[in-house]
Amino acid sequence: MGRNIHFEIFRYNPQDTASIPRMQTYFLEETINMTLFIALTRLREEQDPSLVFDFCCRAGICGSCAMVINGRPGLACQTQIKNMPGHISLHPLPVFKIIGDLSVDTGVWFREMYRKTESWIHTRAEVDPTLEEARMDNAVAEEIYELERCIECGCCIAACGTANLRPDFMGAAALNRIARFMIDPRDERSEREYFDIIGTDFGIFGCMGLLACEDVCPKQLPLQDQLGFLRRKMGFAALRQIFKTSRPA
Amino acid sequence: MQVQSHYSDLLVIGAGLSGERAAAEAAAKGFSVIVLSIVPARRSHSSAAQGGMQASLGNSVMGEGDSPDVHFADTVKGSDWGCDQECARLFANGAPIEMRRLAAWGVPWNRVVAGRSVYFKGGEKFEKEEKKEKEGLITARAFGGTAKWRTCYTSDGTGHAVMCTMDNRCAELGITVLDRKDAVALIHDGMACTGAVVRCMRTGVLEEFRAKATVIATGGLGRLYKATTNAVICDGGGHIIALDTGVAPIGNPEAIQFHPTGIVPTDILVTEGCRGDGGTLLDVDQKRFMHIYEPEKAELASRDVVSRRMTEHMLAGKGVPSPYGEHLWLDIRHLGDRHISTKLREVDEICRHFLGVDPRKQLIPVRPTQHYAMAGIRTNKDGAVYGLKGLFSVGEAACWDMHGFNRLGGNSLAETVVAGGIVGAKIVEFLQGNEVAFSTAHARDALRKTEERVNSVATCANGRENVYAVREEMQQALMDGCFVFRNEADLQQCVARLQKTLDRARRVGLVSDGKGVCHELYSALRIEGQVKLALMIAKGALERKESRGSHNREDYSARDDKDWLNRTLAYWREGADMPELLYEDASPVFELPPGERGYGGGRIIPADPAWVAARTIK
Amino acid sequence: MAGTATMLYAHPQAHPRRDACLDWLQMITGACLVIFMWCHMLLVSSVLVGPALMDAIAWFFEATYLVQAGGPVIFVCFLAHFILAARKIPFTAGDQEIAWTHARMLRHRDTWLWMVQMVTAMFILVMGAIHMWVVLNDLPITAERSAARVASGGWLWFYFILLPLAELHVSVGAYRIGVKWGFISRQNRPKAKRIELCMFVVFMVIGVGTLLVFNHMATVLSAGRGV
Repeated sequence: MGRNIHFEIFRYNPQDTASIPRMQTYFLEETINMTLFIALTRLREEQDPSLVFDFCCRAGICGSCAMVINGRPGLACQTQIKNMPGHISLHPLPVFKIIGDLSVDTGVWFREMYRKTESWIHTRAEVDPTLEEARMDNAVAEEIYELERCIECGCCIAACGTANLRPDFMGAAALNRIARFMIDPRDERSEREYFDIIGTDFGIFGCMGLLACEDVCPKQLPLQDQLGFLRRKMGFAALRQIFKTSRPA
Repeated sequence: MQVQSHYSDLLVIGAGLSGERAAAEAAAKGFSVIVLSIVPARRSHSSAAQGGMQASLGNSVMGEGDSPDVHFADTVKGSDWGCDQECARLFANGAPIEMRRLAAWGVPWNRVVAGRSVYFKGGEKFEKEEKKEKEGLITARAFGGTAKWRTCYTSDGTGHAVMCTMDNRCAELGITVLDRKDAVALIHDGMACTGAVVRCMRTGVLEEFRAKATVIATGGLGRLYKATTNAVICDGGGHIIALDTGVAPIGNPEAIQFHPTGIVPTDILVTEGCRGDGGTLLDVDQKRFMHIYEPEKAELASRDVVSRRMTEHMLAGKGVPSPYGEHLWLDIRHLGDRHISTKLREVDEICRHFLGVDPRKQLIPVRPTQHYAMAGIRTNKDGAVYGLKGLFSVGEAACWDMHGFNRLGGNSLAETVVAGGIVGAKIVEFLQGNEVAFSTAHARDALRKTEERVNSVATCANGRENVYAVREEMQQALMDGCFVFRNEADLQQCVARLQKTLDRARRVGLVSDGKGVCHELYSALRIEGQVKLALMIAKGALERKESRGSHNREDYSARDDKDWLNRTLAYWREGADMPELLYEDASPVFELPPGERGYGGGRIIPADPAWVAARTIK
Repeated sequence: MAGTATMLYAHPQAHPRRDACLDWLQMITGACLVIFMWCHMLLVSSVLVGPALMDAIAWFFEATYLVQAGGPVIFVCFLAHFILAARKIPFTAGDQEIAWTHARMLRHRDTWLWMVQMVTAMFILVMGAIHMWVVLNDLPITAERSAARVASGGWLWFYFILLPLAELHVSVGAYRIGVKWGFISRQNRPKAKRIELCMFVVFMVIGVGTLLVFNHMATVLSAGRGV
């Protein structure tokens, strides 16, 4: 017989004027290899069909199911109950707009982020795909992929002290996106153009170095190193600009 | 009630790779495009495809001599001659170009590294030397069922990386991509489709999206099965709104692929790359067995063959018992830490996060599980759905049909972008050549019917059947009667069970109040259509009295080209209680006449040589 | 719950490099204060070796006018650093609540350390300013005068409070500069954390030792005068 797990789940339906934010208690018997995906799905199907949460791939690849699990943002689908205490509290991610219970609106937030960071390759090159492709060093390709691995779950944003205080802070996910394009030889944006996007307190200079992003990222993206790299790069970019503009023409 | 209406030239339902690729094609030509998705675009199931995309670039030394012709032949053989060869040709020719286009758009493909390196095949170590003059070009890896190394990849997150690039491209083009929008009905007059009725999954409110052309690109239907590698959103939503029109057919509903390596018990897929890179399958005695059944290809035979051999081996008493049923072992221990931590990192993560297993030291429990639907909304080679003008379909949701009765690993992910581009271009032609008159009456009609459905479900007007219980019954019926091996008795029982289930599905009522997002309502709006789709699968399988590709009949083990070299077209006519099955020729022409696949064994009942010859082209 | 982000930074900025400059200044003033504090502690703790050594060092700094000039510079640095860092400190009640709730939920060391910096900053602002004012108005610095001050009134307790606050703030601040500017990487972060802790402990031991010596000296001196 498995443990009888005590769940405390945040409930709130913004579409229902009568709904007020509250914690609701559920109990569920643990079974072997149970993950939070299995547990929450069972709670919905067996106990409370009104429970709102998001799952998609249930394999830690898509980033849908990020929530605050016993205080820490993480992916519910890869949280194994056997590694958890008998009392589990679940909250929606902060910072993002709440849709209902444990579900938050990461979709709109991230689409806005693509627009802000202009999250695409900027190039003037006209490519004819019927001809041989431009060559690239495999090591560079792997380096880009390393940063491209972000699944946009929102954990880094929810865990970020700055993002919690300043909703317009771009956060590690957006800064990592910029770093991804900076190291991509196909992107022709200049240092100045990148600076215009992230060279402010809403960008890299808003980062206070609390490293919660680094510590909660379910994909273990090298966020700490990217943030340090960007701060140095943008810091020196500013100095270069000042030096250049203050020099007589 | 004031309903929010949206207008665009093109409405794309589904923001996975194929949907966004088609959207990008139309938007680049200046048409207004709206893309709808249940989840944010990048969470689409396309991103879960780890392995890669097949394209005959032939840059790797192991892909030398490859060409679209070889790729075409592999694809047709893989389909067990069930595919439309015109589509397979379009695909094979277009794939290398599309890979280069994706490279220009930003996909960080792995590239050729010159020099010697080792690789594994069937557990043995080999050496290869990549050429200096190819250094930096897009490289490829081995995958099941292919003559050459042809699978382009980005480590083991190919789907994810391409999905990111494609979504970036859509953002660049300024395409409106809306997430948490569930298309619940098409707006049509029986002749033409002009958009969809959509339930907003933020508010629960119904909206209408009117468009000159509509594309269904909603992916697979794996969630009709209990054991599936598919994401929870792959529930046949797009198929259902198409079949609900009564005039659009589902092509080859019985053609469902099972993947050999879903982990037990969560059914998460571990990539074919494991076997391609030299992983082996072991039985209860921890002995290899695939080479006994398939001496030539062993673990690298195509998916249907491996799944079938695994099931066969388990039926022979060689399975590993577990509380979740029997399974076999996948062994990648000999590939080494470096290989597993880089090339197979996702596999490593899956094993650690969902099994608590270290694949460097331990075996991975696997069994065949539902994986892919060759079945889909039947379209012509332009992607236009049979029966409704202005309605298109692409990707896994469609039966285009380049996969026939079995698709090769890496071909479906490639299909999403290649077909997405081709169909996108055809949609552009359609939009350029057609003026569409929006009929408000039909839109209001579709909306009113949907509202009535929502209300009757929410107020339990038709009954109080529990939607989750009904779904469970449907899934179990398919697992029991319509899985890897099929036979007359089980299929008949399956159809009978599903007919009862359909009756229950029509009496579903909500337990919750249905306000706001309400997932129960989402499920309830789908369940009747899902059971209809399940009935199409079971009925199609029951009628097809042969074995072809993934469709394995124990009682008809031969591939029957004489009577069954055709495609099932399943219609659900308005007011009917059973699907109507029609048939069409599998391929209008043969570039590669029906023959031996070279693996899988089995007897072939040949087609009339004169008939074949008359349709064979050079 | 906050709404979706707005596009504030996309507006043309009057001073496009303002935030970068302020961030540089915050780092530079911080780094200066860290170095100053470490030197300061070493100098004051020279009394542990002997009052004569401390007097000699103090005499040297005053004779070269380093105290008279350096003191106000450090004071300005101190105020500037506070103002610069205050840009990031939540001052409204609502923001305070967000910050504390966040830290309590997350149970994350580096986030808590930032809360520590925030709280210590407030105390250091007041107490540090008092300390500087008193010392700079009571030149020259000698071991005897320092001892007398420490032992008088509630000053011993004042310093017993200020010392750990300042040392915490300094060592955490040094670590934070390293993290923010990428001197501390993912790889050497565990080591940096150990160093940070060691620095704190070492300076606390030195500091407490110095205070006790001052207190002891004062007792001895006053006993001597009393005779």
